[in-house]
Amino acid sequence: MSKYVIKRLAMAIVTLWVIITITFILMHSVPGDPFANENKRIPEAVYQNLLKKYGLDKPYSQQYLMYLKNIARGDFGESMKSNTETVNEMIARGFPVSASLGLQALLIALIFGPALGAIAALYQNKFPDYISMIISIIGVSVPSFVMGTFLIQFVARKVNWIPIGGWGEWRHTLLPSIALAMMPLAQMARLMRSSMLEVIGQDYIKTAKSKGISKSAVILKHSVRNAILPIVSILGTTISNLLVGSFVIEKIFGIPGLGMFFTTSIYNRDYTLIMGITVFYAIILILMLLFVDVAYTLIDPRIRLTEEGR
Amino acid sequence: MEKLLEVKDLAVSFQTFFGEVEAVRGVSFHVNKKETVALVGESGCGKSVTASSIMQLLPMPPAFYKSGQILFEGEDIIKKSEKEMQQIRGSQISMIFQDPMTSLNPTMKIGKQIVEGLVKNKKLSPSEAEKKAIDMLNLVSVPQPEKRIKQYPHEFSGGMRQRVMIAIAMVSNPKLLIADEPTTALDVTVQAQILDLMKEIQNQFDTSIILITHDLGVVADMSDRVIVMYAGQLMEEGTVYEIFKNPKHPYTRKLLGSVPRLDMDRSESLHSIEGTPPDLYAPPKGCPFFDRCDEAMVICKEYMPEREYHTDTHYSCCWLNHPMAKSVAEGSVV
Amino acid sequence: MKKKLSVLLSIILLVSMLFTGCSNSDGGTGGKKILRSNNSSEPGSLDPPLAQGTHESWILENVFEGLMTFDEKGELVPGMAEDYEISEDGLTYTFTLRDGIKWSNGDPVTAEDFEFSWKRALDPELAADYAHILYYIEGAEAYNTGEGSRDDVAVKALDEKTLEVTLESPTAYFLELTAFYTYFPVNKKVVESNPDWAKKPETHVSNGPFKLVKWEHNAKIAMEKNDLYYNADKIKLDGIELDIIEDQNTAWQKYEGGEYDILVDIPTSVVAQLQAENDPQLHIGPQVGTYYYNVNPDVKPFNNVKVRKALSMALDRETIVKDITQGGQIAAEGVVPYGLKDENGKEFRDGVGNLIEYNPEKAKELLEEGLAEEGMTIEDFNNSNFVLLYNTSESHKKIAQAVQEMWRTALGIEIGLENVEFQVKLDREKAGDYDISRGGWIGDFMDPMTILELWWSKSAFNDVNYNNPEYDALLDEAKSTIDQNIRMEAMRKAEKMVMEDMPVIPVYFYTQPYVLRDGVEGVVKVPIRYPVITYADITK
Repeated sequence: MSKYVIKRLAMAIVTLWVIITITFILMHSVPGDPFANENKRIPEAVYQNLLKKYGLDKPYSQQYLMYLKNIARGDFGESMKSNTETVNEMIARGFPVSASLGLQALLIALIFGPALGAIAALYQNKFPDYISMIISIIGVSVPSFVMGTFLIQFVARKVNWIPIGGWGEWRHTLLPSIALAMMPLAQMARLMRSSMLEVIGQDYIKTAKSKGISKSAVILKHSVRNAILPIVSILGTTISNLLVGSFVIEKIFGIPGLGMFFTTSIYNRDYTLIMGITVFYAIILILMLLFVDVAYTLIDPRIRLTEEGR
Repeated sequence: MEKLLEVKDLAVSFQTFFGEVEAVRGVSFHVNKKETVALVGESGCGKSVTASSIMQLLPMPPAFYKSGQILFEGEDIIKKSEKEMQQIRGSQISMIFQDPMTSLNPTMKIGKQIVEGLVKNKKLSPSEAEKKAIDMLNLVSVPQPEKRIKQYPHEFSGGMRQRVMIAIAMVSNPKLLIADEPTTALDVTVQAQILDLMKEIQNQFDTSIILITHDLGVVADMSDRVIVMYAGQLMEEGTVYEIFKNPKHPYTRKLLGSVPRLDMDRSESLHSIEGTPPDLYAPPKGCPFFDRCDEAMVICKEYMPEREYHTDTHYSCCWLNHPMAKSVAEGSVV
Repeated sequence: MKKKLSVLLSIILLVSMLFTGCSNSDGGTGGKKILRSNNSSEPGSLDPPLAQGTHESWILENVFEGLMTFDEKGELVPGMAEDYEISEDGLTYTFTLRDGIKWSNGDPVTAEDFEFSWKRALDPELAADYAHILYYIEGAEAYNTGEGSRDDVAVKALDEKTLEVTLESPTAYFLELTAFYTYFPVNKKVVESNPDWAKKPETHVSNGPFKLVKWEHNAKIAMEKNDLYYNADKIKLDGIELDIIEDQNTAWQKYEGGEYDILVDIPTSVVAQLQAENDPQLHIGPQVGTYYYNVNPDVKPFNNVKVRKALSMALDRETIVKDITQGGQIAAEGVVPYGLKDENGKEFRDGVGNLIEYNPEKAKELLEEGLAEEGMTIEDFNNSNFVLLYNTSESHKKIAQAVQEMWRTALGIEIGLENVEFQVKLDREKAGDYDISRGGWIGDFMDPMTILELWWSKSAFNDVNYNNPEYDALLDEAKSTIDQNIRMEAMRKAEKMVMEDMPVIPVYFYTQPYVLRDGVEGVVKVPIRYPVITYADITK
């Protein structure tokens, strides 16, 4: 197991390098620069000063090597839009916020998604199935900004102790985590439903029933226990996406997380920030995928990480 | 001998989108204590449905009991609630299934799977449960049981898994064991081992067995009595000796004839029964074997034959055996 | 298995709640007068020369003060400077600072602070975005472009209370410029000892009516009344609290929910609705800015002035501002917007008159004439598949669609629409790769020059490369004196000239709608700034 993990981590470094390089190339091949502004523009001299300050006047190869060197030291550099925080500081500040929101949303999705899917499968083609599937269709198709705005308008405005956006206490996390959880919840529900249906038809369920154990034991220990496996395989990307924050949800609810950086940094052509969060997200994703692969072996005894054993 | 199980005129159908499928159409038989009854027939004749309906494992809907009774120790268990059935399943009546490769929960340890039903019913402590699991594995001759109870199904071979299935079925010492094609998916050598194991267990625990199979070799090896089923109905019943020596139904005769024999000429082709079983959406009103029977008469198409008893224990449902039909040479195998 | 799972889930739940942190119970305002609003974007910096726009200036304008400032009536009055003298030739300004002006940390505000701050803002290494607004000072541009030295920048602290500035040329609006945030002073001692002074409220030192006390990035900014401010008596508020919520709709929900006292940057549909209901909370504030379309003179037939004028003449601007933009905007009557005074203290705009004509029939004739001169017919025009380029935004799109339709109905021409990302549009404009593209400009100071100099032949922002020596001459004339009679006359002529040549087609003048809760008084809208809340009072 540890050999496997080490191998994966080594591959991760290569992957990161490739990602950094591709991001660098893409960033600089798109027209525009960090210093433009919609209604005001700056004269050439000032522009040149800005380029020099951020090292953008140097040839690309030099810039590239500088990036690599700094990133290897863990220094993502200075943001080109913010003169107050470095990219490291922005990520360090935003990540815990996004992560806590993401974890809550993950919990909601993990608890209700598979439950909804299991219920749908057990009552296939009956009322609970239709309700569950309608909920999941809503979750998948309603865009998060609609969901978020809807929640603010019809819940936050009506219920006093639920705040309208902002951050600070746990009640600030309620609505945004619900809005954030909808999509993964819906996906998990659908996945769980089809997985359950498949499992229910399996022979070992018949065996379980024939033992005379209770219905709930059959459902939980046999059906759900096996049907949940495919969900673990999507957990890697799901968790990563939730952890780094949703741009839309954070924007609508005014949450000071990492999510907004993903879009605004590109719009602003804030090269250092783009690179910083891309690398950060890549690291999280790689770690999550590794974690899920390892977790999978613990959950499904048939899976082995390498060729040994079977 | 007392009747442990008595099935009276059981009819089970499936309500589907295209109509009603009459899978079991009026089946009656009984099983005595400590005897093995073989339920024989080709695929789709309704033998598995019969077995599942005894355990009430059929999904209802789309299945439903159209008519009949299933008397277990005198009580009609069709009338029992789900909770009551859970008391019976696993402890009074057990079942083992055809494909050991898929009949075990891949994510649960073998030890747990064996004692699962037991723990629920008898509230064992974890150490008691472990001991019991080891005992069961010993019973079914699985070596190194202490190590094995902590393993998962995929670490067992097919034959081993079937032994585990037997262990699971026997853990509460049930009165009746229904074995649905227990050896069909196994190698021939392993088949023999499993059958021997079952015989041993029957001896040890006085268990009655309903053995469902299409393999006549298995029937000959293990059973006391044989029931032949076709298209949801029983064609013939008798002791194993009566059936094999003196089959009275054309279908039974053809079945026996299709078994390859060691003393056959190598150039002789295998005998198969031409045609396919009837469509159970619209089952025929007469004898279901009519279309494939060489000796069919006009009356066979119109009316379902009644039981014609040849001895106390042997009957067949065939117009040919009716006293008014022309006689057919006894003991002849077509 | 089930037990293990629930334990794991509970741990995750607990951990996530830990992160959310202990409640920051603001505990209500407790009887203090705190003005609450939203600053729609996270400030990049609260160090005046590093500020880039309104998401910083609104805060800076409350915690800092320049030599001049705006009072509660919206008038330009002396601020840090008590008095000033202007030399005869209009090139040298001598400012005398007030007595008793202090930094929020107790240090006295001195002329050295000003000299230091302005030179610092011009330091090429600092790379201030708005350094060019200081170029009016002699030697400033040279220093900023690396051609000159810091010492040659003509601002000098003669003593602790006297500051002398020499300009490149007479600049009538220089006094107003000293109220612009890039001209704000910073505490020399503090800045020199701590380069990160502006990053945290604890180290932030300012000289204005308020001081920075809280800065939670992307979340909240709080300012408290600065008791050391010389005019503290005039300040009624105890503090200002600003959320940082980017989403307009959410901010509006909070205002409606009673969490804000004032809100700028409101969704346009809300503005339209409030206007229709004549809601007294809505104020349509003046803003110095013009929305226009650049016309590429290198693309035939847009080089023909008749064609350009025809396009302008076919636009029903009233409909656009009333039904499309719905923000109380004003249909353009030229390029110079309302809110700018002429030599008589009256609206410059009125002094020039309406230079825009709306006449679809005449436009069509004009178009055909112009096309004929270029050897084209309307069919040729339509076959050329010209495109109107705008940067992606709902409002730009709606306006473009309306314009497209108006041109189609009145002139019978087909113009395609294309939206690209803002950066991409800039690039294409620079490369001349466009036919017609949307443009806009918001002025930095209240003088018609702020708009007119866009089309000075050497202006960096002269996208259409308008090159008219007569126009340049008029602008030079206006820049060469502080005599407003001469200046305004020259600028009037200049505007008429540029409208005759119509290198760009003005569409409307910007406004800044904002909402004010009943019970909040003393807010005044200065055209060049966000609503001034410094002197506000909460009566209910």
